Amino acid sequence: MHYLNRREHLFGLGSSIGALAMTDLLAKDSAGPLSPKKPMHDAKAKAVIMLFMEGGPSQVDTFDPKPQLNGLHKMESKSKSGLATGYRFYVGSPFGSRKVGKSGLDMSDQWVHLADPEIADELCNYRGCQAESLNHPEALFHMNTGSRLGGDPAIGSWVNYGLGSMNQNLPGYVVMSELALPQGGARNWSNGFLPAHYQGTRLRPKGSPILDLQSPPHKTRQHQRQSLDELAFMNRRHAEKHPNHNDLDARIESYELAYRMQMEVPGVIDLKDEPESIREEYGMNDHHTASFGRQCLMARRLVEKGVRFIQIFSGGWDSHDYLERGHSSRIRSVDKPMATLIKDLKRRGMLDSTLVVWTGEFGRTPDNNRRGGVYALGRGHNIDAMTMMLAGGGIKKGTIVGATDEIGAKASEVIHPIRDLHVTILHLLGLNDNKLTYFHGGRHKQLSQFGGQVIHELIA
Amino acid sequence: MIILGILAFHYTFIGKVNASEQEKSERLFSLKVRNILSSKCFACHGENRKKIKGELDLTSREGLMRGGESGISSIQSGKPMQSPLYLAITREHEDDWPGMPPKENDKLSKEQIEEIKAWIKTGAKWPDKEIQKKYITKDRKELITKDGVLVKTSGGLSEDWTYRRYKKNDIWAFQQIEKQRIPKQEDTPIDFFIRRKIKSSGSFSAPEANFRVLVKRAYYDLTGLPPSPYEIYQFRISWEKNKVEAWEDLIDKLLESPHYGEHWGQHWLDVTRYSDTGGYSNDYERSNAWRYRDYVVRSFNNDKAYNEFIIEQIAGDELWQQQAKENRNPELLIATSFLRMGPWDPAMVKVSEARQIFLDDVVNSVGQTFLSLTMRCVKCHDHKFDPLPTRDYYRMYSVFAGTQMAERHTPFMQEENLERFSQGKKHVQRMLNYAKQKTRELTEKREAAARNWFINKGTVYVPHDKRKNLPDDMKPPRHVGLNYIDQGRLKVREQDSWIWGRRLERYEPLSQSVYNGQDPTFLNARKLRIKKTNNDWIPNSRIYMGGSLLAPGEKVRPGVLSATGVPVSDGNDNPYLIKNELQGRRLAFAKWIANPKNPLTSRSIVNRVWQHHFGKPIAGNPNNFGAKGLKPTHPDLLDWLAKDFVEHGWKFKRLHKMIMLSKTYMQSSSHPQFKELQTKDPENNLFAYHLPRRLTADQIRDSLLKITGELNPLIGGLPMMSEINIEVALEPRMIQFSIAPAHQPSRTPKERNRRTLYAYRVRGQADPFLEIFNQPNPNDSCEARVSQSVTPQVFSLMNSDTISDRSIALALRVEKEMNTVPLQVKRAVQLTFGRVPEKKERERLEKYVLKMREYHRKHEPEKINYPTKITRSLVEELSGKPFEYEEILPNYESYTPDKKPSDVSANTRALADLCLLLFNTNEFIYIY
Repeated sequence: MHYLNRREHLFGLGSSIGALAMTDLLAKDSAGPLSPKKPMHDAKAKAVIMLFMEGGPSQVDTFDPKPQLNGLHKMESKSKSGLATGYRFYVGSPFGSRKVGKSGLDMSDQWVHLADPEIADELCNYRGCQAESLNHPEALFHMNTGSRLGGDPAIGSWVNYGLGSMNQNLPGYVVMSELALPQGGARNWSNGFLPAHYQGTRLRPKGSPILDLQSPPHKTRQHQRQSLDELAFMNRRHAEKHPNHNDLDARIESYELAYRMQMEVPGVIDLKDEPESIREEYGMNDHHTASFGRQCLMARRLVEKGVRFIQIFSGGWDSHDYLERGHSSRIRSVDKPMATLIKDLKRRGMLDSTLVVWTGEFGRTPDNNRRGGVYALGRGHNIDAMTMMLAGGGIKKGTIVGATDEIGAKASEVIHPIRDLHVTILHLLGLNDNKLTYFHGGRHKQLSQFGGQVIHELIA
Repeated sequence: MIILGILAFHYTFIGKVNASEQEKSERLFSLKVRNILSSKCFACHGENRKKIKGELDLTSREGLMRGGESGISSIQSGKPMQSPLYLAITREHEDDWPGMPPKENDKLSKEQIEEIKAWIKTGAKWPDKEIQKKYITKDRKELITKDGVLVKTSGGLSEDWTYRRYKKNDIWAFQQIEKQRIPKQEDTPIDFFIRRKIKSSGSFSAPEANFRVLVKRAYYDLTGLPPSPYEIYQFRISWEKNKVEAWEDLIDKLLESPHYGEHWGQHWLDVTRYSDTGGYSNDYERSNAWRYRDYVVRSFNNDKAYNEFIIEQIAGDELWQQQAKENRNPELLIATSFLRMGPWDPAMVKVSEARQIFLDDVVNSVGQTFLSLTMRCVKCHDHKFDPLPTRDYYRMYSVFAGTQMAERHTPFMQEENLERFSQGKKHVQRMLNYAKQKTRELTEKREAAARNWFINKGTVYVPHDKRKNLPDDMKPPRHVGLNYIDQGRLKVREQDSWIWGRRLERYEPLSQSVYNGQDPTFLNARKLRIKKTNNDWIPNSRIYMGGSLLAPGEKVRPGVLSATGVPVSDGNDNPYLIKNELQGRRLAFAKWIANPKNPLTSRSIVNRVWQHHFGKPIAGNPNNFGAKGLKPTHPDLLDWLAKDFVEHGWKFKRLHKMIMLSKTYMQSSSHPQFKELQTKDPENNLFAYHLPRRLTADQIRDSLLKITGELNPLIGGLPMMSEINIEVALEPRMIQFSIAPAHQPSRTPKERNRRTLYAYRVRGQADPFLEIFNQPNPNDSCEARVSQSVTPQVFSLMNSDTISDRSIALALRVEKEMNTVPLQVKRAVQLTFGRVPEKKERERLEKYVLKMREYHRKHEPEKINYPTKITRSLVEELSGKPFEYEEILPNYESYTPDKKPSDVSANTRALADLCLLLFNTNEFIYIY
């Protein structure tokens, strides 16, 4: 009791001492959970931009054409894979295709900008990945978190856990989506059992980019500064009374961090300082591409600012019917922005250290079932084959890796499960999946769940 | 040639090893090395003959000596430092020999490395099977050796597993609880155990905390709410008269408060994963889940014995079945909602898989909740560290194999809160009518076009639901008359009709319960009802090898965990098996859990209770008492508490009181030797002082409401819709085929400002304010809330509407109660901190308020408008084209918002600025 009383009397004269002690503490404690960490081995990539085509793009109508399939159009299919039941029939691709660039990558004729040889020859088309869940949310969870159950840490969280962030005033893992969240919502970028510092921060497409980032309009920044100073005063007095309590400092510091973030985030999001030519290039002046273009440009700016992991979700790829209409409009919405993103990164010398991944949660079947009793020209969900585009960040340029069978139903070469893709992404970032573990629920957990292999064929 | 050379070399070496060395080496191989190699190496090096990594086959001595692609023999007999096998497993020579096994997680323990080393040193013998068996048989006769103890279980999939040895402290939780002897002394038993350890470490306990800290601690620990200034005052008066009596009276009073059950119910619901929806793609509402939430609250308030609480949640429906028809207790059906708390939706999966997902979830949940065992690992293999064979997993799985989910008829009870039923129903009905009317408009449009089609065709009109199977040329196109916009809208409206139709079930006497029966042929989470049952049917249960439905192994019968040594109560041929009948499996299992002799059960629950009083448990992982969980810091105390708890009728209130009357509980959070303790005992494993704690998300919200005077203390009832961030509330949330209806807050402050426990909990949409303060994700059992400080918390606590509303409410309250700025400042501090400000402090805060008054005179806030409808945009699934539709938000039509900045004067806003600051302080957010 005596001791306590003495402490409580101290604080009356101690405020200046307290202030000193605080700055000292903060200086020492600069190694926060997001401070940059060395990679485990030589890293090819420093950052990742993942373009997530939610719904599952069709491989045969994008980057893996199957002329044989066109010959089977509307003929009966005996396939039992996937979800579809009843009478099934093959669906030929409504699109033509051609080989592009020096490397001769296949692209359907819907791709115009990506087919530019300058860009196509930067790309790597991977055809060997197989998914495990036929249902959207579970498949999305799997591609994003390595587990179909949802609730495990997302790959972006693991990357920040392993490497920290290069910019303490911005979140290290940023997610952008359309107005509607993808199925499964925020669990696709959750920190799961990792500390909360590693969760993905969604930059909201409308309204405040980060929830409650700014004070209401009638409170100015100066007002906020005054409030924070007053708060700091109260918190310091309190800390003097509780010198034994270590958590106080972190919480005091988080207010200053927040104050800085309030400045930094709008700076990144505000695209006003980008020249008109850039906006045009990203397709921001065309309503088909404006939204995705804006997000791609933002992604480039975020990488410049040191953000590690950026995901952009683009929906609408779930073409069970009206494949031609659906896929051509989806391709159109991403083609130009994505091509520009790669060109822009290259121009700025950033492509070598930025890994760009274009993927969906699974692929699509070469056949379809009759929907409502009519021939619906679309495709079902397919976990046996899908297609991905990768570029930059140590990826082999201008090449096709893996293959699917003659109708694109099933991967046939360089076959790997999703976890191997994850392990490969980590590897390119200088992280070893087997060593990037976190003890939870009685077990050292890792992104791949139980380990996986690097897909060496993808690496330059 | 190379092989021959090595063999020759080896042959010459054998001569130099004497007999006892040889025996030692053989013994080491038979008992240790063989196991290490097979569990750590064989998977890549030999087991799969087609895929041998690095061409190294370790499954035989020949392979070992031959070496892999390096061409170097894996072992130099007698010379570990020249043996690549040894160098690789040490992971210290990675330049030459990369660490093995490659996964860091799989690395060998120090002991295992030493065993391999000793084996190589002694000549690396690889005796034949007969000799191996000799050593093994001899060893298995000894219950305890220096390698550890044998644990008798139902047996693993391999003999090696069955006879493996455990370190005694790894299986501490499975050991019977011994009676702890306590010398006669003044200290309470708790203090005896705690202080004995502190003393032996050369330290001492922190002094008693002051009355103000204690009263706050007691209120928060028992009710989750802060004491009001008046309650503190009352306590102070009696404390000054008689400390001992005052403290005991306070504890008694708080234990009788209905808020006690809310607070401790919330702890329980964290573990059982309470949510009002089912998660996954549809996130269907579980419309009667709230009755289970209230059952839990009631059970704590009524001090229900824990053994009954266990049995009711696992097997309430079976007990109910046994009761006389006219006297059946509905509570028992409600309790079984526990079994249905996990996320589950069978959409797009086969029935058998959907059942497996459910059963795996239940087995794991029951294990974690009541036994503090994580069962997930045992689904696929015998447990790597704990004495849990996969056979026991599937015995437990079999206990639930006939358990089917259903919404069951469950009459409302007098104890249940049925307030707002008619208003609630009216709202749902309105939403439903709107969805149905919109559906009808679209189907009528389609059918009109269909009629025309049939007329043109010259055939008779066939209604929509009848023409599905007609050939294509005999019927109009599927969406005749509807463009893609209509098609998209129709899908949305049909989905909405389902959603709102289902929500009407909230008002029905139903519960999310279970029954025993066969697996249905069809499952859909939106409607689950009891199906006809053949009572002679018995589930056919098997071990699923590797956890795969496609690999059924040996047959199993329902049973319990054999490693506990606790038999099933109603005698049997095998003490660990339950009668192989459809009915009664769960009841037998629950009774086994609640058996006073079950060492896991009582340890599990007293550990949880302890944790919530001290901020940390005795055994560090309340959901995992296995070898990989943290060991108890005070095993003797844990056992004493467990035994005492059972002996005194499994009563919680008595346990709380005993804990809170201890000196250990009443310690200050400061310690004169804090610096020394920080180095010696950084985790405070000694409990030498009380750990400060950050308020949980719920406590922050609830405390704010109590401080501002807005809290509606009503207990139980329908979930309420709090006012969450409006951007999130209106944000489109994807569900299968559609967007989920918007979150519409309840219409009046009184309805909204209830405790967080009653807030509608949607798996797919968290309240961002609560989420950011670490409200757990209801998909996972939460053994302890975390309290990390992350930056966005600042945004919520400085800028959100929620915090702005609360600060204005407090300002208005204070203005009403006091009429000068100094008194208002004093009152605001008093309400928020439970103490009056010191003079200097108050003067500074007054200055701040006056400064803010000036500021706010110059800055007018904007008025807030609530939308009564919202336009949604969605991509039509089939065409990939975007379309729009309108959603109505009728709750906003007659909405009473909380007072907003634009509703109050500049002076009030200035005072509210101060209140907001107070809410942001560490003094408010931490309890000591």
